[in-house]
Amino acid sequence: MAATSAGRVLTLCKQFQNAIRISTSISPQQAAFNLSKSQSYLNRQASSLVGLTWHCQIGNRGQCRPLHTTVSRRGLDEFFDVPENWGQSTVKSGAPWTAKHLRAKSNEDLHKLWYVLLKEKNMLLTVEQESKRQCMQMPSPERLKKVERSMKRLDTVVKEREDALRMLQTGQERARPGAWRKSLFGHVYWYRFREHAIPWYMNKRYKRKRFYTPGFVVPHIRLRIEKHLRTRVRKANTEMKKQAQLQEKFPPMKAQS
Amino acid sequence: MRLSSSLEVLPTCTLEKTTNLTQLAYRSKQGSCVMARRLIYPLYQAGNPQLKMFRPPFALTLVRPGKEQPPDIVQFRIPMEMTKCDVRNYLENIYSVPVAAVRTRIQYCTNKKRNHLNQKVKRPDYKVAYIQLGQQQTFSFPDVFQSMDAKPPEGSADDIQNKFMEDEKQRQKPDPRRGGVTEWFGL
Repeated sequence: MAATSAGRVLTLCKQFQNAIRISTSISPQQAAFNLSKSQSYLNRQASSLVGLTWHCQIGNRGQCRPLHTTVSRRGLDEFFDVPENWGQSTVKSGAPWTAKHLRAKSNEDLHKLWYVLLKEKNMLLTVEQESKRQCMQMPSPERLKKVERSMKRLDTVVKEREDALRMLQTGQERARPGAWRKSLFGHVYWYRFREHAIPWYMNKRYKRKRFYTPGFVVPHIRLRIEKHLRTRVRKANTEMKKQAQLQEKFPPMKAQS
Repeated sequence: MRLSSSLEVLPTCTLEKTTNLTQLAYRSKQGSCVMARRLIYPLYQAGNPQLKMFRPPFALTLVRPGKEQPPDIVQFRIPMEMTKCDVRNYLENIYSVPVAAVRTRIQYCTNKKRNHLNQKVKRPDYKVAYIQLGQQQTFSFPDVFQSMDAKPPEGSADDIQNKFMEDEKQRQKPDPRRGGVTEWFGL
């Protein structure tokens, strides 16, 4: 069966797998709550990152007892919630991670947090599918949105760091090389390169793709521009007429003192 | 020809190169969701180092099998982009589940249904993976919503309503002494 909630927190980090010291007086859940801000997510996993660093500090002073934790026997139990939450109508969960808080974390912590969030997402998807099968309501479906947003923000933060590093090291703004090219219909767009094993002049599919506008298309580009301008002018005119009508209907009143 | 990537979880202690942080594969911009982006794997040629993926964007869903499966089979719904090797590495590295075999199939879902505007609506396809567990482990899908069927407490509105419905049903039933014979016959 799944390990206890304390075991869950600890098993997430392999570093602390073999020998860990927890204070007998403070349980890991309480410690995490005391330290973490109200924005920490995941009630049951108790913001494992913050909790784990807290363990390191308190373990050395006061009463300690060595605790050996093992990875839960069946990893498949992590696809389900803690048994106390089975059959509940709501499960408490905190606010999602914000980009501001994620930027304060180290790369290692972000890496671990990604997997924590991934496992949580898998668990929620499992519960969601099972609830659909059983024609029951899923407890607290907003948790899925929170996890997805946290993961998206984590991705953004990591991307920011990567971009900054790449700019410093190589001066390249983009990770994937590309070029401005003209499409068949006269639009200029950012074409992103793909990796190939052969040069472009040997690539038959690439050669079929044309990065110039043929002569018979050029007159139609002018017509398109004219149409676009006409619609823009029409919109502006209708807006002005609408405002004039409103002014007539509701004349501007002076503020009564 | 694209070789399947092997997903490996970084050792938690050290991160040597900062380029190991993100996905080695590029992502094309498609929508706002992490999962919806299309991964483009770097080209592999003979002699290249094994491709590693950090922070995999794939999410698996454990599902209850529709048909009866052997005890060592676990059924997952996986993203279309995952392969058998990907699933194996994912479960072994992230969940430490011993995987003996992985078999996949793609479930095609209907495009025939129509909405209130009579437009065809496609139900999205999904890939199903049947994982055979190693080390003679077995798995049975637990009953996650069991305690929701608990009887309502005595004296509550639900309880009274249930009892009333049961009484009504009992009244509608024919006389059990007639042994299933309808009341059309007899007196």
